[in-house]
Amino acid sequence: MDHILTYMTFIPLAGMAVILCMPRGATKAIRLTALGFTIPPLLMAVWLFANFDRTTEAMQFMERAQWIPSFNIQYIMGVDGLSVTMILLTALLCPICILASWNIEKGVKGYFALFLLLDAGMTGVFCALDFFLFYIFWEVMLLPMYFLIGIWGGERREYAAIKFFLYTLAGSVLMMIAMLALYFYNEPHTFDMLVLMDNAGTYSRTFQTWTWLALFIGFAIKIPAFPFHTWLPDAHVEAPTAISVILAGVLLKMGTYGILRFCYPMLPLATQDMAFWALAALGTWNIVYGALCAMAQTDMKKLVAYSSISHMGYVMLGMATMTVQGINGAVLQMFNHGTITAMLFLLVGVVYDRAHHRRIDGFGGLASVMPVYTGIMVIAFFAAMGLPGLSAFISEVLVLLGAWQYSPALAIVAASAVVLTAGYMLWMLQRVWLGPVNEEYASMPDVNAREIVMLAPLAVIVIVLGVYPHAVLDLINTSLTAINNTVLSAVPPLASLPLDVLP
Amino acid sequence: MQGPDLSVAAFLLLSALTLGGGGGVIFSGNIVYSALSLMVSFLGVAGLYVMLEADFVAGVQVLVYVGGVLVLTLFAVMLTHRIEDIKVSNRDVGKLPGLAAALAMFAGLIAALEVAPWKLPAEGVAHEAFASTQSIGNALLGRYVLPFEVASIVLLSVLVGAVVLSRKEVAEPRVSDDA
Amino acid sequence: MNLSNIQSLPFSLPEALLAVGVVGLFLLELVVKRKAVLGELALVITAAVTCLVAMQSGGQQGLLFSGMVALDGFSIFFKLLLGLAGFGAVWMSLGSNEMRDEHPGEYYALLLSVTLGMFYMASATNMLMAYLALEFVSQVSYVLTGFIRGSRRGAEAALKYLVYGGVASGAMLYGMSLVYGLAGSLDYAAISQVMAGLGSGGVDGAVVAGAQPVIYLALVLVLAGVGYKIAMVPFHMWSPDVYEGAPLPVTALLSVGSKAAGFAMMIRFFYPAVSAYDGDGNWLTAAGVDWQSLLVVASMVTMTLGNVAALRQDNIKRLLAYSSIAHAGYMLMGFVVMADDGLQAMMFYMVVYYIMNLGAFTVLLMVLNQSGREDIEGFKGLAWRGGALPAAAMLIFMLSLAGLPPFAGFIGKFYLFAAIIRQEMWVLAVVGGLNSVVSLYYYARIVRSMYLDQPAEDAPGFVADRHNGVLVGVLAVATLVFGVWWRPVVALADRSLSFFTG
Repeated sequence: MDHILTYMTFIPLAGMAVILCMPRGATKAIRLTALGFTIPPLLMAVWLFANFDRTTEAMQFMERAQWIPSFNIQYIMGVDGLSVTMILLTALLCPICILASWNIEKGVKGYFALFLLLDAGMTGVFCALDFFLFYIFWEVMLLPMYFLIGIWGGERREYAAIKFFLYTLAGSVLMMIAMLALYFYNEPHTFDMLVLMDNAGTYSRTFQTWTWLALFIGFAIKIPAFPFHTWLPDAHVEAPTAISVILAGVLLKMGTYGILRFCYPMLPLATQDMAFWALAALGTWNIVYGALCAMAQTDMKKLVAYSSISHMGYVMLGMATMTVQGINGAVLQMFNHGTITAMLFLLVGVVYDRAHHRRIDGFGGLASVMPVYTGIMVIAFFAAMGLPGLSAFISEVLVLLGAWQYSPALAIVAASAVVLTAGYMLWMLQRVWLGPVNEEYASMPDVNAREIVMLAPLAVIVIVLGVYPHAVLDLINTSLTAINNTVLSAVPPLASLPLDVLP
Repeated sequence: MQGPDLSVAAFLLLSALTLGGGGGVIFSGNIVYSALSLMVSFLGVAGLYVMLEADFVAGVQVLVYVGGVLVLTLFAVMLTHRIEDIKVSNRDVGKLPGLAAALAMFAGLIAALEVAPWKLPAEGVAHEAFASTQSIGNALLGRYVLPFEVASIVLLSVLVGAVVLSRKEVAEPRVSDDA
Repeated sequence: MNLSNIQSLPFSLPEALLAVGVVGLFLLELVVKRKAVLGELALVITAAVTCLVAMQSGGQQGLLFSGMVALDGFSIFFKLLLGLAGFGAVWMSLGSNEMRDEHPGEYYALLLSVTLGMFYMASATNMLMAYLALEFVSQVSYVLTGFIRGSRRGAEAALKYLVYGGVASGAMLYGMSLVYGLAGSLDYAAISQVMAGLGSGGVDGAVVAGAQPVIYLALVLVLAGVGYKIAMVPFHMWSPDVYEGAPLPVTALLSVGSKAAGFAMMIRFFYPAVSAYDGDGNWLTAAGVDWQSLLVVASMVTMTLGNVAALRQDNIKRLLAYSSIAHAGYMLMGFVVMADDGLQAMMFYMVVYYIMNLGAFTVLLMVLNQSGREDIEGFKGLAWRGGALPAAAMLIFMLSLAGLPPFAGFIGKFYLFAAIIRQEMWVLAVVGGLNSVVSLYYYARIVRSMYLDQPAEDAPGFVADRHNGVLVGVLAVATLVFGVWWRPVVALADRSLSFFTG
């Protein structure tokens, strides 16, 4: 298992090549091939989980090769606790999403080929330790995403697709400028993220501030943090179910992953300066604003989309606190939100497949029509509300504990938003699943075997992490503590200190 | 070269001819008058060449431009069908901004050229009379043979191009791409 | 080495072959019955010329024809690119329905002669030669623009081109006369010595009095001439009309060939001729004249105007014309940094731009051949009615033009951005970055039309013709390969940045 990360990244790409060579009509074979090429990365991710050394914050499973020596661009892969968690999430969601896409009939070949390209891009983003390589993977995801929304999406798919594309690209060009600024600031010039982190102590405060802002805007668009969030509801509503799952489950995490991977260890001074307004305050506002918007929705998917904005706010708030609880809670919340929101989108997709609409007031009494479905659904809803015993409870409590030490006011606001979350979740639960049975859907079939296969693992994870969060916390704790300490212990480089401080 | 005043006066006169002729080309409403004004301008330029002791170039200027190009132009103008009906050869748009830009450019040029450290032939070195045809001939077939040859290809290409372009009038015009 | 006329002859084989080709084709037109042979002959000649140029690379460097043109890494690099541009234009013409009956002998001879002119633009080291080469390219381009019989649009475009070209080259000539007045010589080598004598404005800061304003004026005036060739704002007005009116292969040649030649001439004039090299990768302007600030603004305005105007275009030729204006703005980013890495980035970008833009024009040519349409409607549902491969290629070209990885266009832009960020030109970097985002919108419109829109019920099927398909395929693969592994191109650009100044 020498090059495990490379394999994980490029096996889906090989799958894409295979699918492109298959005849157009062989839809069943194409689906199976796509599924087949997402299983090995999942198994490797499990192997990674088992063999990952939880006691060190150093990067593991490193690979290093020259790519373009004249510009000192390298191919570096490696994982720490933060990225291995995200890789697990990605590897888990991809086969599930392939299963969720089983009903796609239009352009099957193109769909799965693009999906595997997306898979490769996502895994690459979490593995890459060379900034240039990271940027390539980051951008490579845009193209399949554009097509997957634009061709296989709903009514206003073209608008949603181009909006997503333009927003994200705007963020990425700023990121590219920041990347080059970091490159030239270091002597010798390098994109090696480990070196960029090691040299963090030499970056002047002004430099850090501007670079931080450029990177932050790039990542904030992805999270999406207010006011860069407007692409998200459009993209979610129009995207096919599986793509919504990927979007909410993995892509949003890249924003917060990026902040933890770049802004924190590379620009610690700026992080200290900015954390309150750009992360904590904005995160809290995200929590409240997302929840309020979710309450006003009539479309189930849009409701879940706004709830994502709200839940990602917890991640921002948690990491801003720079306490061990807060930052651990934030990353745990990333993982939990990835699983829970994936379930929610899948569940909405299940009814949409049957009823072809998603209006909250268009159903009623589904609980008696589809008991198994409702059972799974209740787990997901309660998890999203943060009920004890389910995974999100742990992460939200950790975040709030951290926030309380950091700023009680923000903690109170964030905690009270839980009430709003419960409000819109229960409201939807009541309108759709309880009450009198809507005669039109009285004979709606319950979930089938395929749907159970894709929902059950997520439900199990949600329950297990609710009682045993250490499965993930052990993984991330060492790395996050190290990142956290980098930020807390950062002091301005000697040259920029006022003269009287010098001995 | 007796009195410098005379040469300045000659220069001013010739410049006035050149510029006035040029102005006539632009501002005249009738294309025939424009063509005739062009002749005045060409003659002025020829005079300037004489003042620069470029006697051969001045002769060529008169022969080729005044004698050849201009006469051809006049022929083309006269022979063109119903040219007399077309009174305006140039529409004038944006007179004022144009004038302002030109004046600003003029002022800038004067200011810059006045102070520029020009590379001038050293004072007091006697001007030898020389046969300009000979030196031009030497330059054209010596130092400047490449531009000379390239110019011949330019002329050939443009000539053939001009023939092709004018020949097309004979053919049936296509309608498809005008839609 | 500085060679005399006779000694230079063995080193100008490529140019000689082109000249023979020009004259030969004019004559063969009269005797050959099967006119198709003429185009194929032109194709062979451009290929042979490119090979001859390639054989010169790495060989001797020097000034040819008593200092008229330079044979150095820089000129060989551009001649290669321009030879390939000529080859591409001939190839496209052979596969173009609209060019089938248009006096093939004269047409291909003119294509060869414009290529010859561009060769001299790239290698001229004497103001007379440079001006002559520029006029050469312009004059022949006017003819080529209006080449299609009875096309009113073409005739109008040619006239517009002529008028703008006349004004621009007049201004340039005036600027050159000022430089001559200062230097007393037309040779770049002599000019650079005089300019160095006027002071560098560098650390010591001593500058000969009165030199600055006149140099500034001269450079601005010269800029009008070359700016017109590269379609830089405000000398860009001709470009949309000409691109739209000219035959498609000519448009392609203008966009990739003439622009590259214009940049080559501009670099040679503004860098080795009037700036001084500090031996360490940086250049100092003559007498410390700050013309870069002007060009920084020009670069920003050029890319912004090009991109914003392109948003509204439905005609793809026109859209690509505005996109080409925008790309001139991007390339200017490399021009303003006064350093070798900027020039290398420009040269790299020109290679990439050649590949992706020629590819886009060739796909457009395929669509035009099939449907007679050159607007965005012609691309509607292209991927779903038999044109999957051309559509995929067009997708690659569009995204590459927009500067998305993993395509070559991104790498090109990356190097340009790297060059300006090294100089900490943040405003230019941000403006350039945002322009990429804007440009994505109109490139994505074409992609949307091909993939996201369904073809009309009665839309005819698309049959890709093999001739153009080969070119498109090669260019698409190159765009992809150079997007992932561009070491050879960047090595070539690095190696080629050498000016022989005698």
